[in-house]
Amino acid sequence: MSTAYPVPSDVSPVTVKNAASLLRIVALSLISGAAIASRLFAVVNFESIIHEFDPWFNYRATKVLAAKGFYEFWNWFDPTAWYPLGRVVGGTVYPGLMVTSGVIYNILHWLNLPVDIRNVCVLLAPGFSALTAWATYMFTKEMKDESAGLLAAAFIGIVPGYISRSVAGSYDNEAIAIFLLMFTFYCWIKALKQGSALFGTIAAVFYFYMVAAWGGYVFITNMIPLHALVLILMGRFSDRLYVAYSSWYAIGTLSSMQVPFVGFQPVSTSEHMGALGVFGLLQIVAFAQLVRTHVSSQQFQKLLVASVIAIGVLGASAFVFLTIKGKIAPWTGRFYSLWDTGYAKKYIPIIASVSEHQPTAWPSFFMDLQFLIFLFPAGVILCFRQLRDEHLFVIIYAVMASYFAGVMVRLMLTLTPVVCVASAVALSTLLDTYIDPTEPIPAEEDVDDSASVVTNGSSAANAPSTQTQSKKAKKAAAAAPPSKGPLGDLVAATVSSTSTKAGASSKPKGIFGIDARLVVILNTLAMLFFFVFHCTWVTSSAYSSPSVVLASQNPDGSQHIIDDFREAYYWLRQNTPEDAVVMSWWDYGYQIAGMADRPTLVDNNTWNNTHIATVGKAMSSSEEVAYPILRKHDVEYVLVIFGGLIGYSGDDINKFLWMVRIAQGVWPEEIQEPNYFTPQGEYRIDERASQAMKESLMYKMSYYRFAELFGGNPGTDRVRQQQVPKVGPTLDYLDEAFTSENWIVRIYQVKKEDPLGRDLKSANAFEQGKKRKRTKPAPRRRAII
Amino acid sequence: MPKCWRLLPLLAYAASVLASSQSFENTAIVRTVELGGAVVHVTTTYAIKSLEDGLKAYTIALGRDERAKTSYLEAKVKGQQDALQIKEHVLETKDDFHLVDILLEKPLSTNKTLNIVVETIQTHATEPWPATAGQKDEQALRYTTGLFILSPYATTVQRTKVKGMSPRIISYTTPKNVESFADNTAVSKSGATVVYGPYNNIPPSASSSFIEQYQQPITIHYNHDQAVLEVLKLQRSVEISHWGANLNTQDNIVLHNAGPKLKGHFSRLDHQTQAFYKRPAPHVLPALTLHLPSGIRNAYYYDTIGNVSTSRLRTAPSVPKNKLGTQFSVLEFKPRYPILGGWNYSFTLGWDAPLADYASYDKSTGRYIVEVPIMTPILGAVVNDEELTVILPEGATDVQFVTPFPALSNWIGTHVTYLDTIGRPSLTFKYKDLTPMHARSILVSYKVSWSAHLKKPVAIGTVFMGLFVLGAITRRVNLTLHQKKKVS
Repeated sequence: MSTAYPVPSDVSPVTVKNAASLLRIVALSLISGAAIASRLFAVVNFESIIHEFDPWFNYRATKVLAAKGFYEFWNWFDPTAWYPLGRVVGGTVYPGLMVTSGVIYNILHWLNLPVDIRNVCVLLAPGFSALTAWATYMFTKEMKDESAGLLAAAFIGIVPGYISRSVAGSYDNEAIAIFLLMFTFYCWIKALKQGSALFGTIAAVFYFYMVAAWGGYVFITNMIPLHALVLILMGRFSDRLYVAYSSWYAIGTLSSMQVPFVGFQPVSTSEHMGALGVFGLLQIVAFAQLVRTHVSSQQFQKLLVASVIAIGVLGASAFVFLTIKGKIAPWTGRFYSLWDTGYAKKYIPIIASVSEHQPTAWPSFFMDLQFLIFLFPAGVILCFRQLRDEHLFVIIYAVMASYFAGVMVRLMLTLTPVVCVASAVALSTLLDTYIDPTEPIPAEEDVDDSASVVTNGSSAANAPSTQTQSKKAKKAAAAAPPSKGPLGDLVAATVSSTSTKAGASSKPKGIFGIDARLVVILNTLAMLFFFVFHCTWVTSSAYSSPSVVLASQNPDGSQHIIDDFREAYYWLRQNTPEDAVVMSWWDYGYQIAGMADRPTLVDNNTWNNTHIATVGKAMSSSEEVAYPILRKHDVEYVLVIFGGLIGYSGDDINKFLWMVRIAQGVWPEEIQEPNYFTPQGEYRIDERASQAMKESLMYKMSYYRFAELFGGNPGTDRVRQQQVPKVGPTLDYLDEAFTSENWIVRIYQVKKEDPLGRDLKSANAFEQGKKRKRTKPAPRRRAII
Repeated sequence: MPKCWRLLPLLAYAASVLASSQSFENTAIVRTVELGGAVVHVTTTYAIKSLEDGLKAYTIALGRDERAKTSYLEAKVKGQQDALQIKEHVLETKDDFHLVDILLEKPLSTNKTLNIVVETIQTHATEPWPATAGQKDEQALRYTTGLFILSPYATTVQRTKVKGMSPRIISYTTPKNVESFADNTAVSKSGATVVYGPYNNIPPSASSSFIEQYQQPITIHYNHDQAVLEVLKLQRSVEISHWGANLNTQDNIVLHNAGPKLKGHFSRLDHQTQAFYKRPAPHVLPALTLHLPSGIRNAYYYDTIGNVSTSRLRTAPSVPKNKLGTQFSVLEFKPRYPILGGWNYSFTLGWDAPLADYASYDKSTGRYIVEVPIMTPILGAVVNDEELTVILPEGATDVQFVTPFPALSNWIGTHVTYLDTIGRPSLTFKYKDLTPMHARSILVSYKVSWSAHLKKPVAIGTVFMGLFVLGAITRRVNLTLHQKKKVS
């Protein structure tokens, strides 16, 4: 056989095998290194700090776990959150993340490595991303081969879609969940392939870990049954499927119910019913198979039809009955918002007010996945060529995840792994084709076109220039195997149409010469390089900011750190009484609890809508109305975020409308959103701002004494680009207690009631020496007409 | 020898006070009080004349309050460098005064004169008055002391000078019942100095009757232009590493502004206005300059919630050992927020320094000697409590130490850190009320054998070797129940 480039022939297969194995290990460790290193931008550019909002709670809980042990954590009632209600933390968290860090922390300390718990938490996500790369490698290996696995590992290691939630310091459930997701899927595929109860059990154990770690476990709960269901519908039921699914479902469900936050949900909520239904269906199908072996086929047909109908009707009516009776909880609001993107805005403004719950914008697909996004469909189509059971899994996963990623920005995260897997399959097929040195035996002369046509990744992947492919693949490409059911036909149609485009299948196919190979390979390499640059750039510029610390540039180009949040939180921590209740919008609840260590009214665990609406009402109504609310909740300090001075756009005035909307949801008579707009319908904070806006507590606290800063010149709010009124708002019921260096965080103290029993407004007026306006005495007598 | 007073386990030294009362005569006593914030410097010069032969000790007296405030006392013969030894009498609970013997270098013969300078540092001797001040207000403090300088001997003339740092002294006490001692004026003020005296022919005053009759408190009320700083707690841990040739110092500091408490609230606008017009409020501490040792590297400054990015450090190169260096690494240190009256700020400050700058090896005895600074002085601040921990290398034996002044308590413990097997010996010292005058060094010496140095690499090497062997074994052992037949 002729080869395009010389290949050594005197190497023993054992040497090749060992060398390949060593290379794989080296490559995997380098990939892990790259995955960890690219996530350290946040630490290098800033410091080892916990990012954003939710991670602060996880960090705080982990500290409790590390300091007081597991049982204390399990029974932890936190009286400082949701003051005065408190929060049963042990029963309302997914403890997987904290327990993971706690275990790592204790092991390190047992080895006399006194690593700070904060560093364990900060570096957990990068560490687990290395494991994710490995799990993806194992998963993709099952799809195609080791080389595709390595590509997939490299992709998932550096792809921004995953980095966005796993940079160092992003100590959130997703940090470990993606590894668990991929590893559970890998075990599932392995169990399905081998019919192994062992791998089914391992899958169940990791499923349990996943349940303990992230609310997104529902994705697995529905993905695996869906896969099983599709397999049954395609007539691919086998004992392997039965063993794998039954062992996974039984052990997985029982163990998942041990997590207190999940409890009996797996048997009582709609999200979990699919898995239960498929489990039941599998038993029926298995039983049917058993019956089939014992009765004649005609009888069996009748029996089958009758029993399927009976069981179907029974099952559905039981489900409906239980739902109506309330035994099975109906779909939750979050779930509805997955199907109707406008639902949340109408009914649950709290969910809609979170930016990561918004539908995904198109550019963010490219930003997060770069060239993988157009390799992805190619990879999915390549899965159709062999269409083994595990390929079906990737296809279903791809379809589901693509939809969810389009609905919600944060679900981009679940899409990313399958994109990496599918793209790796596509790219590896391409590379296999073009690196393979064997040349076809020249029979016809028109073979060259097919090579020259194929220059870009996706079309190359489509075109089955399959000299190198296995025989099975060829069969799939050439003619649709009739035994695959309706989906199989569809696949055959797609595949054959693409293959006819490329040329007649009877001709020998392949690539001649080294130049044609080099053109494609170098192009692919260039794309991979661009991908690396893109990932590095996106990671460093977009995803590595802790958002607790802001960075700006000095005139000389050096980095200037704006540290207002921590300044104010630390002030609260050091100079206020330990039980002083701080009211702020819920975004900052976890940060205040974590950094300032003070009780808060509401926080990012948005479980009590009314409580949040109460805070929203206090913020959006006038001082006189807000004051009793503040006093009733023992509020000592009120904290607002104000970006007007330095142009920090994520401040409270910009979030204000959400407060109004959420408050309006509970008190529609008192708070009305239109009142906060100008008659022209604009959202303004300058002279033309509406009366309700100007009188609202939030407005007053944000702009209190702001105009004075400009020394008589008109002051400008740099976020809204509007001039603030020359005479700023005055406060009667609150005192300014602290303002951070760049005015981002402003803290006000709530005054106590006047000792003389006056209302604070008139007491204040008296202090300033203003005369009380004499109200006209009511006429004593009315003229009698 | 200087003494850290509070720390002294009181010596059971019974002295014959009365017997020696007529052995000396004070020809003149001049006391100079340099008013400050948290730290007040008092220098008293005794011009003495001996009335007997062969006297070895001169006794001074401190009032009861004075004794409680004094945290540092050093006596010298005027013009000489070396400090004299002192011995403290037992403090009786009912006594109004407290006696201290100063042991003279050589016995004094009759009618010989000598000038003894006693330097004391008082801490917590001032109080803010008024106790609260607004952000734009000035800061005023009060300092109270006894009018007469007590002495067990008769005094010909004595005088007290109280100097303020700024010439703005608001008020001072005019003493009463001093006609029998004062010629004309009991007190006079010129500029920043208030002078009490001269008072003539004072009988031995260290007696209850004199104190009852004549001693009276005098109070100076003055403006102070710097923030009154207290370090409520200082935990310093110094770790010696031979492998890294490194001396790591880490201070956990709780800083407190002990000036007048803030009246009302902090206004950033006012603060920025004051900074803009360069009229900073005297009781606000926006930043501080610290002098860290020369040759340091990897300095870090963080607090409970992370790194503080607002500081600057200019390091100076280390000074060779045989030369006396005066260079410091300057840390321009800024708290997260300006520290106003009554506010606290806790933080951690640490740095690495080359071990060679602090340690030396004595070949003859085979001992290492390391000099460990007790504290980094913060100008004008008092350290209320200090816990100093010196962590020696793993396997250090035969530990000895010398302190410049005795610690309140000290003990040897074990500190276990990165990959230690048996842990490192650690020395802990507790101190109270330290002032910049106490910023001296403890000398620690110890032996470390070669085998102790190699303990850690050997331990880690063994563990990894074990892991590899275990890995190799598991790789080669087949535990499958149903062995598949090899297909050739």
